[in-house]
Parts: sequence; structure tokens; C-alpha cells
Amino acid sequence: MTEAGHLAAPRPPLPRRLAPLLLLLPLLVPLLVENQYYVHGILGRILIYTLLVASLDLVVGYIGDVSIGHAGFFAIGAYTVAVLTAPPALNGDSAIAFYPQWPFLLALALGVLLSATAGFVLGFPALRSSGPYLAVITIAYGLIIYTFINEQEAWTNGTKGVTLAPLRLGSLSFGGNNYLFVLYPFLVGVLWALRNIGNSFWGRAFEAIKNSSVAAACSGISRAYYKVSAFVLSAGVAGLAGGLFAQLDSYIAPNTFSYNLSVEFLIALIFGGTRSILGNLIGVTLFVFLPDLFTAFADARLMVYGVLLLGVLFFVPEGVAGILRRLWGRLPVARVDREREALAAQASQVEVFAHAVDRQGEALVLESVTMRFGGLTAVNDLSLIIPRGSIRGLIGPNGSGKSTTVNVLTGLYRPSAGRITSFGHDMGGLTTAQRARFGMARTFQNLQLFHDLTALQNVLVGLHQSFRSNLYQVACWTAAAQREEWEAKVRAYALLRFVGLEAQAFERASNLSYGQARLLEIARALAVSPGLLLLDEPAAGLTSAEIEAINAIVRRIRDAGITVLLIEHHMEMVMAISDEVTVLDFGRKIAEGPPGAVQANPAVVEAYLGKHPTAIAVGP
Amino acid sequence: MQTLQLLWAGIAQGMIYALVAFGYNITFATSKILNFSLGNVLMLGGVVGFILYMTRGVPFAAALAGVIAVGAVGGVLVQKLAVEPSLRKKSQHAWILATLAIGIVLRNGAEVFWSTDDFKMRSPLGDVPLRIGGAGGIGIYPQEILIILVSLAIVLAVETLKARTLLGKAVQAVSEDKETASLMGIDQTRVILISFSLSAAIAAVGGLLVAPVTLVSATMGTVLGVKAYSASIIGGLESGYGTIAGGLIIGLSESLTARFVSTGYKDIPGFLFLIVLLLVKPAGLFGRQAVRKV
Repeated sequence: MTEAGHLAAPRPPLPRRLAPLLLLLPLLVPLLVENQYYVHGILGRILIYTLLVASLDLVVGYIGDVSIGHAGFFAIGAYTVAVLTAPPALNGDSAIAFYPQWPFLLALALGVLLSATAGFVLGFPALRSSGPYLAVITIAYGLIIYTFINEQEAWTNGTKGVTLAPLRLGSLSFGGNNYLFVLYPFLVGVLWALRNIGNSFWGRAFEAIKNSSVAAACSGISRAYYKVSAFVLSAGVAGLAGGLFAQLDSYIAPNTFSYNLSVEFLIALIFGGTRSILGNLIGVTLFVFLPDLFTAFADARLMVYGVLLLGVLFFVPEGVAGILRRLWGRLPVARVDREREALAAQASQVEVFAHAVDRQGEALVLESVTMRFGGLTAVNDLSLIIPRGSIRGLIGPNGSGKSTTVNVLTGLYRPSAGRITSFGHDMGGLTTAQRARFGMARTFQNLQLFHDLTALQNVLVGLHQSFRSNLYQVACWTAAAQREEWEAKVRAYALLRFVGLEAQAFERASNLSYGQARLLEIARALAVSPGLLLLDEPAAGLTSAEIEAINAIVRRIRDAGITVLLIEHHMEMVMAISDEVTVLDFGRKIAEGPPGAVQANPAVVEAYLGKHPTAIAVGP
Repeated sequence: MQTLQLLWAGIAQGMIYALVAFGYNITFATSKILNFSLGNVLMLGGVVGFILYMTRGVPFAAALAGVIAVGAVGGVLVQKLAVEPSLRKKSQHAWILATLAIGIVLRNGAEVFWSTDDFKMRSPLGDVPLRIGGAGGIGIYPQEILIILVSLAIVLAVETLKARTLLGKAVQAVSEDKETASLMGIDQTRVILISFSLSAAIAAVGGLLVAPVTLVSATMGTVLGVKAYSASIIGGLESGYGTIAGGLIIGLSESLTARFVSTGYKDIPGFLFLIVLLLVKPAGLFGRQAVRKV
């Protein structure tokens, strides 16, 4: 970003900056408490399972796919560490044939790598399938891994399991309660990184894909890249949890990693609440503690979980974390006033259209574009030239092929024939996301906002391609990543101000009124820094005052040098602001020219009102 | 000979998968929802059948009626407790978790209130295999014949009803477009309720059918439910007859792998086939792929 420098995020108050120090407190527990059962057995389990549930959260909470196979990744990490580090002395009468006896950390690293690779492999079916189809794939995946650790006795000793030696460094033992000193830093580091990723443009990309993968693609986000990345990250963290688990009791057996474990962790995740580290922790704690609190119910614990899950699903769908988040939101500490003030002050220093790149050539050229669905020809031999910097209206009766044209332009449909060129570049081989990054933005007739995100975050998704930080910088939340995030926020706020939505910046998109949602769609499309903006019925369902406001906005967008293709039913609006109008009927172009001429064109009158004299002789 | 024997066993096992897969298919047709507790409803059928037929000694026909009743009521409960609230919430995945939760409650309930052991159940047709091809020939259990015939009959009957009757038309209408079906005067809630009840009753009968050839236990439905689910996906969720193909593929791949590779790996080929199939045909063998609309 060019105008950077003087933009800076407000510093949080001192107590808030010191709060992370509290994270050191749990390290005192092994020093102060002797009890092995609670510290090592219970607390250790909670920490490891929290990692596992947090990894599941990436797939379920952020990407929105249900995985019932995460026990498989957990198993890969656990068995990599177990097989590579187990000493022969402790596995005397086992079937194990190989004892590589690697150091723990090296084995752990390989476990994470193998698990992440397994996640990569699972990512591909996840691109093609979703819902019940993907769920069954994850189950199959988990069961395949489960079968292999049961059957490969030469490596895993089958059902009898592998015994490991407790960790030690010189004379220092990390077995028993001391294992927490190994576990805890991993836990805090990884959860912190996951939280940073979740709050960054990565997390927003995940949620955008979950909420509307079409709108995400039209904001320049590659669904394949982010979805596969989420599976890789998730599997890697699950593998890490598994590797740490192998050393917890210094013994593992296949039973732990069954299908039931996957289901139980899914329950813990939903119960605690998704997209929340605190929720993950709460869900797991309950999960580990409940059977311990009610020993009499230990056998019936699954029944209790099942009933609890049903209750949570229907009464608090956001989980325990959702309740806490709502309570927290009411506290004065949580107010976003400081951020809002800083954004409002700095947004005025930003030129909204500073990033509109200079482009050469005609904004859009269609040559004989045809789109057929089976026997139906929705767009028939359409040719069109839209000069740079103009507003072109595209009208036509219902079913005339307007929306299909937009979908063909943005690459959602592959045209059956014809050529599309924008600013001198052939769009033919480009995906939807690539066209967006090239500078083709759109809004949607049937609103496609990311309803879980705030208005500001919706615009930030549009700014996705302006982010340069890599995953490492984002995970560690480096100064550069923080600065970039803040600059993007300021720009997003300026765009909201441009369409008149700054008061709603921190409002969830699902709470916006219909007219506000339409404006937010425009702001998000502008965030892509388009050369060509496709507005798909932006006035549908709006009042005439709201339409006036949109007219003014569209004119200002054109004046900033952005070419606009306006698809609209609302004749008054099209005639008022278009430089030229193209009319479609049954997929064919039937007229083109300045608004006045088109309106008088007999072919257009016929398309709209019909030929037969009785068709216009209506009324009482 | 041994191979033929295994093929036969694979077909019988496959038809059980097909039958439960068909149960998944029935509710998917009306509500786009799979009842993930179906495996445990099957278990419930097996356990109730065992209690009635073996423990209480009631006649088999009465036990069958009891099992059907328990299944039908169970299906209604699943729909009322798990599915209807999920549909109202309009949440994308709530139903997956809700029906999974019901399944867990059923399994754990059977463990707590009934038993955690495995039991052998007598077949009403006797447990002496019929020998085909002399003394060294393949042995066919009468129960296996019963499984195949009853499963085929159920699938055929329901599919015929779906194609021929007004209720069947209503089911298809609800499946195509709930709102419009409602406007046409079809009580979609009732259609969905009936589909859940029917599907669970079928699964419960499946439990009674399979009990004599396996063992009756609280965990008998877990893996079976997952495999039947795989079978329904392989066949294609939109296709009723496809479930038979899916069931047979899983059943046969299992018995053949057990014969030629090892029993431990018997599940692998079926699952690998499923994963690869969905990469190539995301809607299964006989499913329809929907066109994405914006």
C-alpha cells in the first residue's frame, strides 16, 4: 500500500497488553500439585484434546465441512512418534520388527508432516464433495487408517500397542507431571497461531468460502487453495496432538483411535462452540471431566453427551462459547469504540479509488458468445463492446439471458462458444477467482453476503488480493502482518463510508436491512479494485429513495474511471444513468444504443409488451 | 468351492447393507437428510427381536411385529427430536450431528439398560445349512436366503409404491421442491415424518434379519450403519435401486478381500472404491448431479 506510513492501529490499554502473561500461570501447576491423576492424567489429556478439537474446528467451524475422520490424523501423529521412538527393551515380546529409535522431536516433526500430507490427500475429495458425501469420505478415511495401525503388526504391534520410554533430557525427566512442561508450550504456541490465522485474511477466506463459495471466488479467493490448505493445517495440528499424546501415557493402542473418537470430538467441538479457542477448551474440559465428576454415570457418559449435544444444537447453536461471546459483548471492555474512532479518523486520509489500476483497451468485448444448457440456448450469439469508463445498461424481459450472461462473464459458466476479452486480455482460460483478481467484480441479484461476518469484514474479504503477508507472518502476527491488516481495515472503512454504511461497520451482515445489504455488495465488489464492475439487479426490491442513492453511487464509480455493466429490470434507473443500453430477448441481442433510441425501438416495445393489440389493452 | 461360498455370504451381507442403505435413501428423498442413527436403529431391532424371540420366547411373527413397531415409533421420535428442530434452524449441518447424537444415545442406552455382551440368536428357519453340490458343496443358511428375499421384496415394494401411488408422488414432489409441494396442498411435515418412520422400521427389520447370521450386541449397528451409509453413497443418494448395487459392492468386496488378502483388511477395498468413485462421480453411480445456480 502506498499511502501507508501514517496509518496506525490504536494501542490497546496496558492491562490488555499484559494479559498474555497470565498464560504462564498453568506452568506452576506441576510444581505445586503432586497429584498425578489430575495433573498428568486429566490436565494433560485436556491440553492434548484441545489441540485436536482446535484442529477439527478449522475444518468444521471455519470451512464448514463435517469431518468424522480426525481420529485418523491423530493416529498418524501418535503412531509415527510411537514407532520411531519406541525402545526394544520395553517391547520385549512384541511383534515389532523395526526400532528406528529416533529422538522425540524429530519423530514429532515427521508425524506432523505425514499427517499434513494425509490432510492434503483428503483435501481433493473435499473440493468435489460436501455434506453427507464428504462426511462418508472422512469416515472411510479414518477407518482405513485405523485398519492399517491394527494390521501392520511389524510396525505397530497390532492391538497390543506400543510402549514408549518417558522423555528425559540428561538427568531431567519429563515423565509424569513434568510432561506438562513439554506439552504446554506446544499448546499455547499452536493455539495462538491458529487464533492469529483465524482472525486474519486467511480466516476470512475460510469463512467466505463457507458462507458463499461463489461470492468468495468473485472476490478473488481460490476455493481450491484455501480449502486444501485448511485440511493440511488441520491435519498437521491433529498429527501434532497425536504425537504429543503418544508420550502422555508412554503407551498407545489402536482402540483409542476408533471411529467413536472422531464422533466424540465432534460433539466436544459443537458443545464448546466453533471458531473459538476458549470454546474448544471448554468443550474438551467438560468432555474429560464429566465422567470423572459422576463416576456412577461413567458407563452412561455417551448418553449424557448425546443428550447434551441435542440440547446445545437446538437451544444454543453457537455453543458455550457463543453464550460467553454474547455476555462479553455487553461488557464495556469489549466495546469497539476506540477502533471505530481510529478508523473513522484515518479513513478520510484514504483515496477510495486510488487502487483502480490504469488499464488499456475496451473494458469488455464479447464475440459471438453462446451458452447452451442441454437443449436450451440461454445466450445466443451475443456480441458486445463496452468502451472504457462508460455505464452500459443490459435489459430484457424475464428469461432473456441477462443473469446467464453475467455468470458466463465471471466464469461461473463456461460458454458453449464465443470469446470474451477484457482490457485486451482473453478471459477464456481464467477461473472466476482469476478474473476477479484481474479486475472483474460483481454483485449478486440474490444477495450473497458472508452473513457470519461483519460489514467491515465483508469488505475486507473483497480486499483479499491486496494482502501480501505469507502464512508464517500471519501465524506469528508479525508487525508487517499487523500493519497490513490495519491498513486494509482503514480502506474497508473508507469504502463503507463511500456507500454510506460506516455506521453499520461492526454489524453482522445478516442483521443489515435489504437496502443496506445491496450497498454492502457494492462496497465489497469495489474492494476488489475492479476495472469492470458488473451490477446484477442492484435496485431489485429497493424504494425509489434508495434507488436514487444507488444511482448517485454508480455515477461516482463511473467518474472514478470504472466501467459499469448494469443488469436491471428497473427501466427508469437504466434509462437515467446508462450511457448506452443493450436489450436481450430469448438470449439474442435485439437492440442497442442510447437510452432514448432504445426506448423507442419497436422491437423492444414488442419484446416487453407483446405484438398482439390486446396485450397492451389492459386495465379496467 | 470356498470362493463360491464366500460369494454367497458376501451377497447376503451386501443385501443387509443395501436394505439399510435403502433406509437412508428413503429419508434423503423427502428431506435431503440422512438419519445417521439408522445403524443403531438396526441394533435396536436386533436387540428387541432377541429379547422377544429368545428371552421371552414369543413366536417369531409376533417378535417381527414388535420390531417393526419399535422401529416405526423410533423413526418418528428421531424425526421429532432431531430432524424437525434442525430443519427449523435452517442450519446446514445440525442434522448430521443431531442424528449422530441420537445414535450414540441408543447404543449407550442398550449397553446400560440391556447388556454389553454378544449373544447368539436362533434363526426361525433353523441353523442347519442346506448343502448344494453334495457333502463338499457350498453351505447355504436358510436365514441368508431369507435376508436376500426380504430385502429385495422391501426395496421393490417401496419403489413400486413410490412410482405408482399418490403418496409416492407426494414424496417425489416434496423431494423436488418443498415450498411448491406445500402450496399444492401436500403436508410436507407429514410426508417427511412417514419417510422417517418407514426408514427406521426397515432398518429395525434389517436388525432382526441379520441377527442370526452375526451376533446380537449393543455395538452391532455402528460399523454396519457406516457401511450401509457408504453403500447408499456409492449407489447414489437419489437412486433407490442404486442402493442394491452399493450394498453388493461393499458386501462382495469384503468377502473377497477376506478370502484373498486377509480378514483384517476386508473393509479397505470398499472404502477406497468409495473415495475414488466420489472423485470421479461426486453424486455416486446412479445419482444426478445438480447444476449450480446463482
